[in-house]
Amino acid sequence: MTRVNGNFSIIGKPTAMVDAAEKTTGAGKYTDDFSVPGMLVGKILHSPYPHARIKRIDTSRAEKLEGVVAVAIGEDAPNPYGILPVGHDEHALALDKVRYVGDNVACVVAVSEAIAEKALELIDVEYEVLPAYFDPEESMKAETDLIHENKPHNLEKDYHHAFGDPEKGFAEADHIAEARFVSNEVTHAAMEPHSTLASFELDPHTGELGRLTVWSSTQVPYYLQHKLSLVLEMPMQQIRVIKPLVGGGFGGKSEVIPLEIIAAIAARTAKAPVKITYTREEVFWAHRGRPRTIIDLKTGVTNDGRITAVKARVVQDGGAYCSYGVVTILYSGALLGALYDIPNIQYDGYRVLTNKPACGAMRGHGTVNVRFAFESQLDELAAKIGIDSAELRQRNLLQPPCITVNGLRVQSYGLPECIEKTVERSGWKQRKGKLPKGRGLGIACSHYVSGAANSIIRSDMPHSTVNIKIDRDGGVVVYTGASEIGQGSDTMTAQIAAETLGCSLSRVRVIAADTDLTPIDIGSYSSRVTFMAGNATLRAADEVKKRIAAAAGKKMGCAAEDLIFRNDRVFSKNSTGSLSADALADKSVRPTQAEASVSGRVEGQILRGSLQQKRKEEGPKESMTFEEAVVAAIDFHGALTGTGSYAPPQDARGGKHKGAGVGPSPAYSYSAQVAEVSVDEDTGEVTVHKVWAAHDCGRALNPVSVEGQIIGSVWMGMGQALTEEMVWKDGMLMNPGLLEYRSPSSVESPAVEPIIVESVDPEGPFGAKECSEGSLAATIPAIANAIYDAVGVRLHECPFTPERVLAALRAKKNAKALNLTEGVDPTAPVSFREHGGALWFKGKGPERHAMDPARREAPAAGGAD
Amino acid sequence: MSLPQFRLLRPRTLGEALDFLGKYSGHESAHTLPAQTSRGPDGRGRPSPHEHSRGRLSPQVPIQVIAGGTDLIPSMRQKLFEPEYVLDLRGIDEMRGIRPAADGGVAIGALTTLRAIETSAFLQQHYPVLTEAAATVASPVLRNMGTIGGNICLDTRCLWYNQSLTWRKGCGFCIKKDGDLCHVAPGGTKCWATFSGDTPPALLCLNAEIEIAGPSGARRIALHEFYTGLGDNYRKLQPNELVTRVFLPAALADYRGVYRKLRVRGSIDYPLAGVAVVVKRSNEHIDDARVGITAVNPAPVLVKGVREMVAGKALDETLAEAVGDLAAKTAKPLTTSALTPEYRREMIRVFTKRAVLAANN
Repeated sequence: MTRVNGNFSIIGKPTAMVDAAEKTTGAGKYTDDFSVPGMLVGKILHSPYPHARIKRIDTSRAEKLEGVVAVAIGEDAPNPYGILPVGHDEHALALDKVRYVGDNVACVVAVSEAIAEKALELIDVEYEVLPAYFDPEESMKAETDLIHENKPHNLEKDYHHAFGDPEKGFAEADHIAEARFVSNEVTHAAMEPHSTLASFELDPHTGELGRLTVWSSTQVPYYLQHKLSLVLEMPMQQIRVIKPLVGGGFGGKSEVIPLEIIAAIAARTAKAPVKITYTREEVFWAHRGRPRTIIDLKTGVTNDGRITAVKARVVQDGGAYCSYGVVTILYSGALLGALYDIPNIQYDGYRVLTNKPACGAMRGHGTVNVRFAFESQLDELAAKIGIDSAELRQRNLLQPPCITVNGLRVQSYGLPECIEKTVERSGWKQRKGKLPKGRGLGIACSHYVSGAANSIIRSDMPHSTVNIKIDRDGGVVVYTGASEIGQGSDTMTAQIAAETLGCSLSRVRVIAADTDLTPIDIGSYSSRVTFMAGNATLRAADEVKKRIAAAAGKKMGCAAEDLIFRNDRVFSKNSTGSLSADALADKSVRPTQAEASVSGRVEGQILRGSLQQKRKEEGPKESMTFEEAVVAAIDFHGALTGTGSYAPPQDARGGKHKGAGVGPSPAYSYSAQVAEVSVDEDTGEVTVHKVWAAHDCGRALNPVSVEGQIIGSVWMGMGQALTEEMVWKDGMLMNPGLLEYRSPSSVESPAVEPIIVESVDPEGPFGAKECSEGSLAATIPAIANAIYDAVGVRLHECPFTPERVLAALRAKKNAKALNLTEGVDPTAPVSFREHGGALWFKGKGPERHAMDPARREAPAAGGAD
Repeated sequence: MSLPQFRLLRPRTLGEALDFLGKYSGHESAHTLPAQTSRGPDGRGRPSPHEHSRGRLSPQVPIQVIAGGTDLIPSMRQKLFEPEYVLDLRGIDEMRGIRPAADGGVAIGALTTLRAIETSAFLQQHYPVLTEAAATVASPVLRNMGTIGGNICLDTRCLWYNQSLTWRKGCGFCIKKDGDLCHVAPGGTKCWATFSGDTPPALLCLNAEIEIAGPSGARRIALHEFYTGLGDNYRKLQPNELVTRVFLPAALADYRGVYRKLRVRGSIDYPLAGVAVVVKRSNEHIDDARVGITAVNPAPVLVKGVREMVAGKALDETLAEAVGDLAAKTAKPLTTSALTPEYRREMIRVFTKRAVLAANN
């Protein structure tokens, strides 16, 4: 590995996360751990129908239940919102329509969860059931009963891009592969379910509501502040959002989730603090995961393995609301580029609305499913033209620095090395094709943005700002809006500040993601934090460092530019004493007893005066401790603070075509992976034995954290490849829990060998790029390609469940087909709403019990109880 | 999802437990009780609001038995059970333990944990099929809690049943709970919820008997008589009765045994199909063999005709395959869980063949 050995004391060293102790001991506080005096519990009533008009809501019976304080409904906060400016189509609580099973109808505020749950059963809602759409391709044909009136054919958005000359490209190709790939719906399954606590200040005299404080498990506290302001019609300055520890996000908390708004509405209605924590089922309904994606892909190559053109038609089953949908469908097309050199690209993307929970951003946002299709097809073509599949990829590399045909600027590019390393470590050349029957190797590559170059709300505002203040005793406090969600954002911030200031990590305290205290940062999504908030931290620390250097230089009688800050000391680079050699050596230099006491405490008093006295007497020194330098700087400048911000450069912000804003990034990460699998040919079960995963993260600021991210990405990708799938029956999610959703357990987790590749990006902080998303997408096709190598079947639909693999194996052998759809009874209706369901669906059928919605004769269902 | 309110009863002896059951299991006696579980914020106490809203309440047993709790607690959160009383058996030491009998058989207390069974040297030596099956149940943490009695009495499972109250409202409920339709066998009036215990097929292979204690004393029945084959009313156990012990006969000790389980993940999951096989060999041929299957019917089932098919023959691929076909014919999987019924039945065939071959070697 080309670890460019910059001479660092903190960067590049395996570093424990700054919040590791509180998390591992259980002392750390997540949102659900918080409570405030007088806090009540909120519970949400969800729609039992996939698509219905709300004709009437009667909450009176629920309100009468003792222990119930308030019931909030849609009319209490009718303003629509959405994460994208073009997608303000959500109401925290439904106004007129519900659009999926699980949509939010009302919220009960009560003194306990049990009472709130009871009260939910007492809310009478009269629905007019509407025909619902579950399949995106069917939904696109809809003429009536649209999911949103302003979206004809239930089409959220479609894009049609052509770069280069695709027709000509295909004409030049010697081989063309064309196939349909399907990638089923998956969700984040973060450990921590969403939770929000909302509390208004109450004027003790008038009872009027004042400022609002919200604690929430969010990746985007500033967007939350903005949307709360929109829905509650309060100025942003009246709203304080605090992000406590977050137990994983993966994109599922990267936009405003209904409970965050509902908690605030409920707190306003109840005039009391309200906390809502989702059940796991509600997390599945809130969703915002990766949409089921249908990809019709066509790729052309020449005999010598050059890709001449790619054409992709992508249909995404986006669910009932826009969410990040427009961005997802654009990423799917835009990131066909920037991995390989593809001269001609045609892309037709359709984001379709259906009556299911909204899909949104999920680790590898928009790229993963298309990457699965593309890398699988590339493998097919390699077999067709008889070129080794690793070699084929090496023949299509970009030549950076360059701008791709679709306007993406690529500077650092570690892909060649990633391929080289994985091929070498996995023994690809010696072992590929030579493993025993049923065992195989597969390779695939992927990439991802290091932060979107354009923010959701387009403006020239910096994407990240960081403030630093240093106190007289050398304590460094960094204020950043960046959201630590378990990915190591706070540790990264502390590391960059400490490295730049040359102080030890333990001096640095990070205050993060509190809208009252920290400067704005647009959030933890699109893998932007290290690159953008990291650069802002670097700039803020540099600014402070300059001020310290100016003062220290005076004291030391040398130019500020000649000073080196390192290991809690400041010294001149011209000094030759043993001290500087000592300090440069990578061991922490502790202040001597004498030095410590001079600035230390005596009987609780900080003896600044005597310290200064001493310094004056001594005259110029060869070096100073960090503390001494800080004191000098504060004496010289007054307060010691610095600020830095980051906005992506103009030339990295992409082309001019419609939709060009999504895809551009100041830098791209690269990944190559080899997977080794075996397939049981009688059962179709796939076992992943090992994955070699190389990832170009620019520079590994914290190698142990980078390795963790690579392993986590591979593991999550493996889940999507083999087991995870949201199963639907007519809008009912059949597996809304971790038992039936089946993320891989530790038993199935293969050995993962993470390989760090450092291409040192010219614009990243210390050369760093992203490391947490780019690797995921390669895992799925790497496994698919390995299955092909093992047993010769090409799988076009993921996850590769044993039944799908077995069906493919049987088809190949011409054995008796395995009916995968319904089995046993061929006359069984395809949808449950067609038998029992359909009977109540259409308002007829056998006698139903009272809670069966079909039995609710409209006027009789009143609250006369 | 909150746990419904209930009153916990903690007997110290079996007799005390049976007294509690006798007292609280009948509807009449339950209503005359002074103890109101609900601290009634509505001031109205019972009946619960659900009784108003859910028109046709499935007969609610006012008392539920808890041992390990791994089956009951999640179901209570989903409001599948809302008992007034929960009888906690864990304090009854006499119901725990593996006791080899003088004649060579063994008696296992119903409260014995699956972990204890999995690691028992005696059982590993003489009844390997049982320890192998016990070792596949859920995950190590759950096996520390879950008991053999609980695994035998395990509630049948279905994707349309093991869901929250809110979810079940969305599908209009089903026969097993609060409804009158079956979503997996449309038009049918039978419940097809699947029995998903891992140890019962092994116990069936071993000719196990169970002891049931009730108000009129204890009785002993063959395990296969315990299950009804219906998804909803799946076991023959009165609300005032308890399964107290499992007996394995000496005659089947030292049979070779193998358990094979189909599941998506290597841990945690319930079986999607399970096959237990015991084989007795003499010289080069098979003397006796039995095959039990689980997770593909509303009850664990002993496959009929296996012994007749293989007794006196030397086992080879073809014969093992024939046994597999026989087992697959017995399996009647429906869409009650993940993976398609056809696939699961096919796996009964494959797993039976493999298990028979493995047990023979």
